[in-house]
Amino acid sequence: MMPSGSDARDRLEAAMARLAGGDRSALEEIYRSTSAKLFGICLRILKDEKEAEDALQDVYISLWRKADRYDAERASPISWLATFARNRAVDRLRVGKVRQGSVPAEHAAPIADEAPLAENLLIDAERDARIHHCLDRLDEKPRSAIRSAFFEGRTYAQIAEADGIPLGTMKSWVRRGLQKLKACLERGE
Amino acid sequence: MSEDFRPDDVLAAEYVLGLLEGEDLLAARAREASDEKFAAEVARWQDQLAPLLDTIDARTPREEVWKRIRDEFDTLGDSAEIISLNARLRGWKMAAGTAAAAAVAAISVLVLSPSQAPSPPPTAEPQAPLAASIPIADTQLRLAVTYLPERQELLVSASGLTADGVHDHELWLVPRSEDMPLLSLGVVAPGEERRISLDQAVAEQMADGSPLLLTREPLGGKPPGVDAGPVVAEGRMQTI
Repeated sequence: MMPSGSDARDRLEAAMARLAGGDRSALEEIYRSTSAKLFGICLRILKDEKEAEDALQDVYISLWRKADRYDAERASPISWLATFARNRAVDRLRVGKVRQGSVPAEHAAPIADEAPLAENLLIDAERDARIHHCLDRLDEKPRSAIRSAFFEGRTYAQIAEADGIPLGTMKSWVRRGLQKLKACLERGE
Repeated sequence: MSEDFRPDDVLAAEYVLGLLEGEDLLAARAREASDEKFAAEVARWQDQLAPLLDTIDARTPREEVWKRIRDEFDTLGDSAEIISLNARLRGWKMAAGTAAAAAVAAISVLVLSPSQAPSPPPTAEPQAPLAASIPIADTQLRLAVTYLPERQELLVSASGLTADGVHDHELWLVPRSEDMPLLSLGVVAPGEERRISLDQAVAEQMADGSPLLLTREPLGGKPPGVDAGPVVAEGRMQTI
């Protein structure tokens, strides 16, 4: 636990609990302390300002009905919210609300800005080493496919097509990669 | 049915990453809703991958976005009703030892999108909702059925099912009186959540413990004048 971030985390946890209990005023507090991070995530996946704004709106509106699913014993509030936002953004790609792939990822990466200090403090430093370490140990092909799925919301078919590789081959590379990834993550636990 | 098999932990990772589409995706969603072990795998991968999101640069959205959220938010109903139903479903899930996630999703839809049908007359005291989670033979899939007595509305969630193009499945309520024929609750729409307003006569038969049957029928449901098809699944409504 990062001592400097624990106040911010506690405040956010309390706001989530209030929202889950039906306190509408909690939403603005949650928005103020998390929207820059969640907007960055939506933008990274959707690669379009307008789409990312729509997704962000959808994320906070859905949060009103889903806040009670958050379990403080299981995850930090910011990582739960980040995962929630990422999944909502990927869902938008799947239901075809978004035209995809017009801009290469590296050109569309969001330009960082000065995120509020409290928000940086919310990041779970103690958790981020392991997955990076384990991903880095994979071969380049599966690693790049896994990253592409996670960060760009791409499916097997899209990745295989983009790389000019048969779908079956791509699937077996990735599945072997995921097994190695899991073994590595478990060794760290 | 997918042609390729892989261990559940790999499937869960594929699902979490978003690699799946089409039937594979629907099947994984249904597994998550119906199979606690698989749902736990999914949650574990979500947790383990979440730190990757910390590498994405933050970006402050335009102030206008908050105004839009606030305006939409102001038009929404109170969440209290849903929250309390969700809590009830969780209690039910623990008591029944079955996954109720699909039913939780279903109940949000019920409460959040009022139907066009006129409201039934108010009852003297609020009645508890009923739910059933019906396993489909030979598959990991479950049909989630949720009933709100006060609205006489049934929500049938078949989000993981896919149509075979040859058959339909029809859901039936077994009435309390043995003299009464089975009451049709309609054809199940594969891949959809369907809301059904029950007639008074059917609603009167819906109670804690009411058996439900799922039969295999020709496309369009049971033709008039013939017996219902074979029973492929059954379950019971339970107070939640």
